[in-house]
Amino acid sequence: MAGNRLEKNRDGTNKDIKTACIFILPLLALIFLFILVPVIGTFINSLFQDVSFLDKRFIFLKNFQQLFVDSGFRQALRFTLLFILVSVPLEIVLGTVFALLMNADVPLRGLLRACVLIPWAIPAAISARTWELIYNYSYGLANFIFTELGVTGWPVNWLGTSLGAFGAVVVADVWKTTPFVAIIVLAGLQAVPKELISQAKADGANLLQIFFKINLPLIKPVIIVTLLFRTIDGLRVFDMIYVLTGGGPGGQTTTISHYAYKYFLSGDFGYGSAASVVLFVVAFSLSVIYVKLGRFETGQI
Amino acid sequence: MREDKIKKIIVCIGMVFCLTFCLFPFVYMLAVSLSTRADFLSQQVTFKFTLDNFRAVLTDRSLHFLDYLRNSIVVSLLSAFFCVAVASSAAYAITRLKFPGKMYLLFFALAVSMFPQIGLVGYLFKFMTKLGWINTYQGLLFPYTAWILPLSLWILVSYFSQIPRELDKAALVDGCTYWQSLIKVILPVAAPGVLSVFLLSFIFAFNEFMFALMLTTDYKARTVPVGIALFQGLHGQTPWGNIMAASVVTTLPVVILTLIFQRRIISGLTRGAVKG
Repeated sequence: MAGNRLEKNRDGTNKDIKTACIFILPLLALIFLFILVPVIGTFINSLFQDVSFLDKRFIFLKNFQQLFVDSGFRQALRFTLLFILVSVPLEIVLGTVFALLMNADVPLRGLLRACVLIPWAIPAAISARTWELIYNYSYGLANFIFTELGVTGWPVNWLGTSLGAFGAVVVADVWKTTPFVAIIVLAGLQAVPKELISQAKADGANLLQIFFKINLPLIKPVIIVTLLFRTIDGLRVFDMIYVLTGGGPGGQTTTISHYAYKYFLSGDFGYGSAASVVLFVVAFSLSVIYVKLGRFETGQI
Repeated sequence: MREDKIKKIIVCIGMVFCLTFCLFPFVYMLAVSLSTRADFLSQQVTFKFTLDNFRAVLTDRSLHFLDYLRNSIVVSLLSAFFCVAVASSAAYAITRLKFPGKMYLLFFALAVSMFPQIGLVGYLFKFMTKLGWINTYQGLLFPYTAWILPLSLWILVSYFSQIPRELDKAALVDGCTYWQSLIKVILPVAAPGVLSVFLLSFIFAFNEFMFALMLTTDYKARTVPVGIALFQGLHGQTPWGNIMAASVVTTLPVVILTLIFQRRIISGLTRGAVKG
């Protein structure tokens, strides 16, 4: 009896499909209702003039036309791209260095790994507040180091100038996301066969040669995929910068997400949705490449 | 021999740099929270130890810090629980049952996990307003669970597919239903993986910011990250001592959790992220 049922299951009978539907239904229902419906709603809203207390009016692509001549949006776009361009490579390089350290045979390796995880594990909004204090002009830690320990000798106006705020945001974000990169690259490093390394050592290769000739080529796919993932993540960055600079000074560190959020906050849902849709489309196209490049191990399923 | 020595020195310097880089903001956070004045680094001021900041955030009801903390813990725990329950039933179907399109389902989940939050939060706000769920636990719980599900699904599928098929087949032969084989066989065997998913889901929900910012209005449902981000003094001056004390109280449990479960978190993260 039971054996019979199993044989049928292997062929993927109707009953099997029905059971699978029941098992998957809760997942699909939740994602559909609370992710897909809002996304579709945002797309539809972007075609409307939809401001609180005014009548909703279909205006087709007018919001988008407006966006492309909107200097605030272009500034947000420019800042977000520049932010990715600077911070993501830094994170990848530093993350790889951390991964190499964590992969080395050192005492307290577990503790090192746990400590590296901490910046990633705590809420970005909370670390952003600590960074805000670190960058305080008159009594923050950053200016204490810069003046007292003589890096520059004078205090830097971190959050009040364009360049200072950019640097502040990049350093805080690198601090927060390098651990993630390090963990992923570490997994890649651990998959490098030990024999290859010891063979190279026996042949007299030095540390740099081993890294550039053996490790790096083998973890290249991991690094590329991490780079792509971090780029997508950078496009949608919000909380760290929103809390740290509030988008300032003068809107110069306003990200695309923050820009759209400002319109939602003021009740202009049509325009905010249009800005979100632009970001969504860019991020989504990148994630299609990510899924293609990822070579995700699904063979055994 | 010489090479080994150099390597050791490089690794030591690197470790010190790495630890300093990762931990110095926390040392500073702790120092400010224990100081009478936040500006103890400026020249005329000296560091004076006090517990007043902690006393304030833990006892002053008007700051609502404990309310935020309670909201965060309740919502995150429930989200993590629902994520594990819903994702493990779906992961069971994907790894154990034959049905068409399971690859599409997995890649669909992966694509969803990369949506920018801003692409849905505006409409979500309207949706929740219609439901009357603004500033409620359920108003955060459902979006959180849905938001974290894709990643939980990927990690659990990865763990479940490593469990030998014979194990649950034997249970099915013995007359178990699919549900029973999931609950009595798969989940216990995959317990480490399930724990990973639970921890990661909890951390993601606990750290979430944009939904909470948009969908809550006050201490009845506002979570700690938003609470601390919007923490302002009554008289214009930022109460750094209080903010840092609240940050320490919030960070400490997460740090302890990370130290204890470091292995599980890393294992889950690497499964959920990239496999080159």
